[in-house]
Amino acid sequence: MARAQFETDFWKDAQLRKSWDELVPGEPRRTLPYLLTREAVLKYCRAVGDLHPLYVDEDYARRSPWGGPIAPPSIHILLMFACTPADDWMRSPGTINAGQSWSYNVPARPGDTITLQARCLDKFIRKERLFAVHDNVFFNQHGRVICSGRGQTIRPL
Amino acid sequence: MAAAFDAIEPGTRIEGEPFAVTRETIREFCDASLDYNPLHLDDAYMQGDFGATNFGGVIMHGMTSFALLTRMLTDWLYPLGGIHRRLETRWRAPARPGDTLRPAARVARKKVTRLGRWIVLEVEMRNQRQEIIATGEAMAEFPR
Repeated sequence: MARAQFETDFWKDAQLRKSWDELVPGEPRRTLPYLLTREAVLKYCRAVGDLHPLYVDEDYARRSPWGGPIAPPSIHILLMFACTPADDWMRSPGTINAGQSWSYNVPARPGDTITLQARCLDKFIRKERLFAVHDNVFFNQHGRVICSGRGQTIRPL
Repeated sequence: MAAAFDAIEPGTRIEGEPFAVTRETIREFCDASLDYNPLHLDDAYMQGDFGATNFGGVIMHGMTSFALLTRMLTDWLYPLGGIHRRLETRWRAPARPGDTLRPAARVARKKVTRLGRWIVLEVEMRNQRQEIIATGEAMAEFPR
């Protein structure tokens, strides 16, 4: 689940990924379960400079209303890539993020096995640009929604 | 939490910690987010055109702004007992190595619903030239 090898070269097999033309709105994307480790949470927190004790201090978190360490709400930034395979079209080089909206329910926690339900919901052309609208819902191992989000990306030609 | 909610005035301004963007912070974000799009790593690739747009060099992940805005909101909400429920952003301009970003927010309104107490905030991110990098809206709940 926590895959040892993550392909960091997004050019590799780029031609296998769906282009804008091939996206079928409504069609589910293939996703992968992901074990969110404490190390991955800490690495993410350090990268965005967010070292709140709820995320990094187990004793503090245990005494808090949350009852134990949680991940920052924005951890879905990592989960999006962690829960999708290398041929997923979100990895297409040149994908430009235009906007996102996310709603948060229960926090992700270190040790959670997280799953994703995702699809391209819509696609359109505006000002010569090709847009895709994607919707995504992350769940924990108890089937509870962690967060749900909708994004718009400008697709490479 | 009722007292905290009641004490929040529309118009209240919130400021987040500034964030200095470097190639190293971008690379660190790649490793932490697993987003290795060449937009953020490959200067040669970024000399090319993206439709009518030419970035002229690598740019920061837009989602770094999203994470910094999130941090500003949670740093403000946790001590008040509020829960971060929603963030929506649109990216207005790219951020680049050398930029210093400052997140900010303003309480736009409060709303009491059948089961909850909510505040809506306008959020924005500006660089050191006061150019707007991102704008958006957030929502927080103060549970009954």
